Amino acid sequence: MTEPPSLIEEIRFGYGPRAGWPLAPGGVDPDRVLAQLGTTDPEAAHWTGPTMADRIAVLRDRGRRKKGLPPIGPAIDLKDETARAKLAFVVRPAVARAGFVERLVNLWANRLTIGVGKGLDQLISHYRDEAIRPLIAARYPDMLRASLWHPAMLVYLNQTASIGPNSPFGLHKGRGLNENLAREFLELHSMGTGFSQTDVTELARLLAGMGNEGEGPFVGRRAVEPGTKTILGATYTTGVAEIDRMVDTIAQRPETARSVSLTLARHFIADAPPPDLLDALSRAYLDSQGDLPTLYRVLLTHPAAHAPELGKLRSPQEYMAATLRAVGLTGDPAKTKALRKRGMRLGEVMARMGQPPFGARRPDGWPEVAQGWLTPPMLAARLDWAADLARLVGDRADPVAQARGVLGDYGSPLLYHAVSGAEQRWEGLAVLLGSPDFMRR
Amino acid sequence: MKPDLVLSRRAFLIGCSAAASPLLTPVSFAAAKGENRLVVILLRGAMDGLDVVRPMGDPAYAALRPRLLDGEAGLPLDGFFALHPGAAALMPLWQAGQLGFVQAVATPYRAGRSHFIAQDALENGTGGADGNLTPARDGWLNRAVGLIPGATESTAVSVGRERLMVLDGDIPTAHWFPTEETGLSTQGMALLTALHSADPLLAEPFAEAQALIAATASDRIPRDHRAVSSLGGYVADRLLADARIAGFSLGGWDTHQGQAATMQIQMQMLAATILSIQGRLGAAWGTTLVLAMTEFGRTARENGSAGTDHGTGGMMITAGGALRGGQVFGQWPGLGDGQLLAERDLMPTGDVRAYAAWALRGLFGVEAQALERAVFPGLDMGTDPHILL
Repeated sequence: MTEPPSLIEEIRFGYGPRAGWPLAPGGVDPDRVLAQLGTTDPEAAHWTGPTMADRIAVLRDRGRRKKGLPPIGPAIDLKDETARAKLAFVVRPAVARAGFVERLVNLWANRLTIGVGKGLDQLISHYRDEAIRPLIAARYPDMLRASLWHPAMLVYLNQTASIGPNSPFGLHKGRGLNENLAREFLELHSMGTGFSQTDVTELARLLAGMGNEGEGPFVGRRAVEPGTKTILGATYTTGVAEIDRMVDTIAQRPETARSVSLTLARHFIADAPPPDLLDALSRAYLDSQGDLPTLYRVLLTHPAAHAPELGKLRSPQEYMAATLRAVGLTGDPAKTKALRKRGMRLGEVMARMGQPPFGARRPDGWPEVAQGWLTPPMLAARLDWAADLARLVGDRADPVAQARGVLGDYGSPLLYHAVSGAEQRWEGLAVLLGSPDFMRR
Repeated sequence: MKPDLVLSRRAFLIGCSAAASPLLTPVSFAAAKGENRLVVILLRGAMDGLDVVRPMGDPAYAALRPRLLDGEAGLPLDGFFALHPGAAALMPLWQAGQLGFVQAVATPYRAGRSHFIAQDALENGTGGADGNLTPARDGWLNRAVGLIPGATESTAVSVGRERLMVLDGDIPTAHWFPTEETGLSTQGMALLTALHSADPLLAEPFAEAQALIAATASDRIPRDHRAVSSLGGYVADRLLADARIAGFSLGGWDTHQGQAATMQIQMQMLAATILSIQGRLGAAWGTTLVLAMTEFGRTARENGSAGTDHGTGGMMITAGGALRGGQVFGQWPGLGDGQLLAERDLMPTGDVRAYAAWALRGLFGVEAQALERAVFPGLDMGTDPHILL
């Protein structure tokens, strides 16, 4: 990281300023924000997990053990791996220097959601770190392809259970298609609208036999559905290259451009983003074949990116990270221990706020609009957390100075009045962290 | 003794923040009269009605479900239909006339088979085939509460951490889930109240969050309400206090794969939930109706992985002492050649909203005209299916 970000860049395009780190003066500088895409995370190695082939080998050994057979895979404890993945979901945003990069990873991983269950806990970090993270500055079709072929996606949306009815296996065993991945690919991952049930079924026929066991995509001969498939007017035969051609073709459709544009604009700008921004993003998507940095630049140069009003409510993950950054609780093991000692387990707190790490219940992921996070119990959990955290760390610093540091001129006069009106310092901090101003970005 | 959350919440609201609370200005504190109670359960994920209440008498059924049935017919209900064995615990209710089913119902949504659009359409009560919501994007049960004479902000309650669209809207309702206290002083809370009350987005949820915090600060309740039996008991406690309408959701019905094992667990969970409500309500069960509805049905034919995919015509489960049960309601469309929708789904022959509308009319006296215009825009209620005693 060469140049520090400005306050509004940290708030709107990151996870909020971190106490003690420098800030640049001024507003949003698109070049400075985009420069984050070229930086490397010095702590990335700390989060690197086992390869997919190793993870699959360990999972297979579980089956072997049940049958009384000796393990043949590497000796890796995937339970630790799951715990580390959940920790990363909370801690990486909290410690990030390139906040825009982490926001993008979480944004795209949410659009292309993988949930827990079905034994997927142990594959999720790999999905995020290999199918999403390296592609946030690529073309959207590339990310779409990486996501579609990832073993975790094939399991999560039941693709591994879909058998071509006229395949050797299908004919022999009487098995057939499972439309789940085909449907969600069209509905959630790409177009969103403009396709028919026939397209879903035809796509399911094309996808039958898809596999990836950590060594790359293949289409299994025993499950592949023979014959021609017609999806949205285009015809396909069989095989990996044909599936990839389908991804590229669907990715270039205007519906996909529109859907991706809405995801970006709604995440960063407003629950109901300005129509001219959506138009500009859609145009840029189609002109650049879905080049994501091109879209980011359109977003960052639009007037809405520079508006002084904070238009979005932070998700629990963003809120949690922002609170930890605001109080400088970003990596000191002694302080983190104090959190645990008081029973403040971050994953549980996030669950109460409505966002248990990797626990999205539906394949459309976490809500991207404020109403999804504003049930009274969820809001009560935020207020609980603000008070607990403030009580833990807030007896030293001046809460008004802390408010200046994290909100500056983006905090309302009412907020400064309330923070300065608290009886104790920690309560002043609790009022800051629990305020409507701090819950926004 | 169980603390009464509704009362302590009201005590808090009256004592501390009546002026600041947007909930209190338009409503009186007189509790709604009447003993009739309605529980709406949203079964998220699309429950396979054809597996829950199996049309064994339909000649096409067995061939459509070879792997799912696997020789297991289920528990005979009326000679034509049989109940999923996982729901065996509900058979005494059936025999007592306190359990019934409505086959081949759906919302008007036909444009696709999207869970998300369909769940919103089911809760919004929209009449649009495209799934477009009414302009207010509120819930039909919320609109109905506004039409019940004497209803207060504690007449209807949604239970659970998630927002429940069916009870969301302009009419004040309660929202409960056990949570933790903040430990802020009165003044600290007053400062936060001042900030949130001035915020259009946060003012209303904050008022309720604050009430939740206050209620649980003095009356800690156990945190095991995630277990379904205690969820049912918790709902029943609300209904024994001021509430007459309760809503909550149960997920896990999206059975694309390995349906037999999943449905066994799901049916046991649903049965336990209904029985825990019945058990806790005691005599009040006699005037209670439970409607368990889902966003759509599933394909008539099992898929290639011993599951079923998204369909159209579905099933509603009804229970309660107010029910004229012991029967399967609705017009059975058949599963044979030419009888399925798009050669794959159970053909809907009834609007699920009509049954909800007749229930609201019978239980709470809501006028038919209001039901067809305000609660379920564009609904034709048709003739009374007589699901109530």
